[in-house]
Amino acid sequence: MAGGASQSGMKAALTLIGKRFASSLLTLLLVSVTIFIIAQLLPGDAAQEALGQSATPQQVAALRHEMGLDRPAYVRYASWLTGMVSGDPGQSLVANMPVSDVISERLPNSLLLAALTALVAVPVALAIGIGSAMNRGGRLDRALNVATLSMVAVPEFLVATIAVLIFSVKLRWLPSIAMASQEMGWGDYLRGVAMPILTLSVIVIAQMARMTRAAVIDQMDRPYVEMAVLKGVAPVQVVLRHIMPNAIAPIVNAMALSLSYLLGGAVIVETIFNYPGLASLMVNAVTSRDMPLLQACAMIFCAAYLLLMLIADVTAILANPRLRAQ
Amino acid sequence: MIAHILSQAKALPLSGKLGLALVLFWLAVALFGPMLAPYPVGAFVAYDVFDGQSAAHWLGSDYLGRDVLSRLLSGARYTVGLAAAAAMLASATGTALALTAAVGGAKVDEPLSRFMDMLISIPSKIFSLVLVAAFGSSLPLLLLIAAITYVPGNYRIARALAVNLAQMDYVQVARARGEGRFHIAIAEVLPNMIHPLLADFGLRFVFIVLLLSGLSFLGLGVQPPDADLGSLVRENISGLGEGALAIIAPAVAIATLTVGVNLLIDGLPGRGKRA
Amino acid sequence: MDDMPPFSRRDLIGAGLGLGAGLILPDGALAAAKPRKGGRIRVASLSSSTADTLDPAKGALSTDYVRHYMFYSGLTEMDRHLIPRPALAERIESSDQTVWHIRLRKGVTFHDGADLTAQDVVWSLLRHKDPATGSKMAPIAEQLAQVKAVGSRDVVITLIGPNADLPAILAQSHFLILRAGTKDFRVANGTGPYMCAQFSPGVRTLARRNPNFWKAGKPYLDEIELIGIPDEVSRVNALLSGDVHLVIAVNPRSTKRIMASRGHALLETQSGLYTNLIMQQRQLPTGNPHFVAAMKYLIDRPLIKRALYRGYATIANDQPIPPFHPYYRADLPQRSLDLDKAKWHLQRAGLTGVRMPVYAAPAADGSVDMASILQEYGSRVGLKLAVNRVPADGYWSTHWMKHPLGFGNTNPRPTADLLFSLFYKSDAAWNESGWKNPRFDKLLLEARGEADQARRKQLYGEMQGLVRDHCGVGIPVFISLIDGYDRRLKGLYPVSLGGLMGYQFSEHVWWEG
Repeated sequence: MAGGASQSGMKAALTLIGKRFASSLLTLLLVSVTIFIIAQLLPGDAAQEALGQSATPQQVAALRHEMGLDRPAYVRYASWLTGMVSGDPGQSLVANMPVSDVISERLPNSLLLAALTALVAVPVALAIGIGSAMNRGGRLDRALNVATLSMVAVPEFLVATIAVLIFSVKLRWLPSIAMASQEMGWGDYLRGVAMPILTLSVIVIAQMARMTRAAVIDQMDRPYVEMAVLKGVAPVQVVLRHIMPNAIAPIVNAMALSLSYLLGGAVIVETIFNYPGLASLMVNAVTSRDMPLLQACAMIFCAAYLLLMLIADVTAILANPRLRAQ
Repeated sequence: MIAHILSQAKALPLSGKLGLALVLFWLAVALFGPMLAPYPVGAFVAYDVFDGQSAAHWLGSDYLGRDVLSRLLSGARYTVGLAAAAAMLASATGTALALTAAVGGAKVDEPLSRFMDMLISIPSKIFSLVLVAAFGSSLPLLLLIAAITYVPGNYRIARALAVNLAQMDYVQVARARGEGRFHIAIAEVLPNMIHPLLADFGLRFVFIVLLLSGLSFLGLGVQPPDADLGSLVRENISGLGEGALAIIAPAVAIATLTVGVNLLIDGLPGRGKRA
Repeated sequence: MDDMPPFSRRDLIGAGLGLGAGLILPDGALAAAKPRKGGRIRVASLSSSTADTLDPAKGALSTDYVRHYMFYSGLTEMDRHLIPRPALAERIESSDQTVWHIRLRKGVTFHDGADLTAQDVVWSLLRHKDPATGSKMAPIAEQLAQVKAVGSRDVVITLIGPNADLPAILAQSHFLILRAGTKDFRVANGTGPYMCAQFSPGVRTLARRNPNFWKAGKPYLDEIELIGIPDEVSRVNALLSGDVHLVIAVNPRSTKRIMASRGHALLETQSGLYTNLIMQQRQLPTGNPHFVAAMKYLIDRPLIKRALYRGYATIANDQPIPPFHPYYRADLPQRSLDLDKAKWHLQRAGLTGVRMPVYAAPAADGSVDMASILQEYGSRVGLKLAVNRVPADGYWSTHWMKHPLGFGNTNPRPTADLLFSLFYKSDAAWNESGWKNPRFDKLLLEARGEADQARRKQLYGEMQGLVRDHCGVGIPVFISLIDGYDRRLKGLYPVSLGGLMGYQFSEHVWWEG
């Protein structure tokens, strides 16, 4: 490839990154306002939830004051926002420690689980997707089609529970709960997260594989592919050299969407395997009405989503010369 | 018209015919199931819980000793109805907004796209949790949650299609003719993106069925004693260890319904890109 | 701790919602086994979240209670028959049940090495009266008129009125003793059997044996890791797969699986826990006595016991004292499902054909299914109940006691007086149905100061009758608590105050692995 082309690609990517950064800030602001408004509609507040069934009005008033919940809503939002801008997500109302401490314990767990799942799921999905596309209409294609469809068709909590029954209760190969702790070795950790990875993979592999197949097939009908085939280029070469650069945009886009699910959508898997991740933390924040914590989680999920989308778009630009011009 | 549909059905490949049969079967169950149910949905008719198959209870009894077949027949309409309605609502809204964005220029496109980014970046199950906690669980709310959750996905795809189409020569010609934006969107752009959107609709339908069952795991969902198929799986999950029919039956129901819809759509001719 | 002197008879009045506990496992069964030292176990409790706390006053859930009993000790503690025994208090005495003298045990040290003093006790008790503490025991602590240190080892507690149950009250986890002035609850500094090695809310608590524990030879285990597994199926699977060794709150539907496993066993604890229907008395139509009667006749208690609890429950009679309680009144006729009577009462109330919402939530155990059962029978007598299932979070603050028809859930309390004062007295904050009965209130005060056991039982008996016949509360069953454990874990016995030996297993169990 010529140096000029790759340079223009870099330039296009950098412009895109710059533009996206600005609009991302706007999106994050929007999300925070939305979350704040919806949370105001929730019945009860952090003070009432903390005191629970046995709350007396005096206690609720005292605790509200201590948590700063007796200030008007806009004041609370403003003080949260100013804190956030200076990099301080505030104090968790319920856990009585800085939100950053609570998050820093869980975020690595979530990222690690998502990364490992992606490591397993992306190659498998690509292989299935490309394989069935190349075999379009053939026996392999139909078998894979039914397999991915059935994978998508089973509720994830059922997949997870069946996996636990087989691999930990019956066979005792894997632990049924995925405890993540610092003193754990990698071997123990991987054994612990094997089933969460399996469950999450089942969900996203099916989605990604189907989209990959569709994108590849879409390109296969184009004249340039026929030309290449007529010229006698080997099928594998056709896919890798000719089809993939053009199909990559929809594929990475779909993959980014699926991968963003691995963070926030993992709540059921986290619950069943008792994995201390970010999604169950956010559910916690909702049920205990812990606003600063809820906001912080929402910001992280939103930022992760935007980042994945950006990576997808940049990848598409760099991979496909035709897109660089746009 | 009917002849046309019949000939279309005949033209379907085998898998498409199977899909069509499954879809028609579940539509029939959704419509007539409650009438066919041998027992009332909330009646405690079996002495034992997690009973196996018997003459009185074709699909055994559930975790409280209720008739699984009756609950399945009554519950299917929630899953089929909610998922179909929500998928249609999501697709219609997403596509309409996408068309607006495509013909409206950057001034409309930018804010709409940012708004969709915002919606999609909030994890859907947590979003549902918040809304149900705030407004209480009801059918219209579940419908709305499912629809809102899947609007952005449809919007992304429809917008990509529409933006491409808007650059096409015939659209430019129409523009030059001085046609209004509304006319261009409806008459020139929309008809050319129907097929890919239909494929998208099928996947959304599956996702919504799964979202609903995910919600039932979190304790949100249709109000008792009724239950959608996902809730039926969830409420009987403790019977999984003993292989109870009460959990296998609704799980198979979900699988056949979702696989059926997708086989049918896969079999439709002229499908395009999907996501 | 049989070598310690129990309280004098006089102080034992009203002790214990007991007996049920002791019936299942006779004392002799334990005497044969000799505890072994060492071992490390993992225990899974019901729930764990960022709301987890090391502050005993804020304890809200079983996980909290277990954690607090590991790290802290109380002035008194309940034995398996629910008789309060001295703990950090060497003696606790009163001649008029109003002024109580407490003598502290000598040589008790906190985990940080400081000696336990009377100052610590005064501070630990009085903080419950400060609304800012957020104590769950604030309403009870109102009875403390004055708490005063006399020297370094003596404390005098003056109550606002006589209460013979103070030793039992002080044994609750909320009243465990802290070091005076404790502000930082990220670590625990108590006098309990274990020291806090790690505490991360919502993830886990790691407890290591306290070598300086004030009970010689105890505790037995080296280390306990306490985690929460909210999902019941996952919890049971974790036990069966060997990942945890003790779990609380096993669903009756899972008992079959645990019993089928050779390495595991169940610990059933009959308790006073109940989920109750609330019919608000301050408004119509739920305040109509005929409506209340109709609803009570609509409850199919054997079905609830069988279908919801698979037999792990005791049929109740619309009053909160369970049959295995010493004060239980046995001669009250048992109310049972009677559709004809329900129909008749409904007609008398003029409510046939009426449609009413009933609120239920997973927060009140079994309430959603109970509501479904009520709905089913209601439909047979012309009452249309619409079940409104609401999320568990926010239930207590937004729904509980706020609707004409709803559900509550009441945990076992150490004394009958506490139960009646908290939930049934006319002016009680949690008088769920809002019923008012002057006769009941008078009997309650009389019983609290009454020294004679027989007379006390008679007073409580009359109160049970009043609640059964007039209160707007329907109690279908008392729910048994079920724990599951690895058979290598020894020394477990039921204490009817709660699962996991009334949350106090940590100091009593040992491991034979």
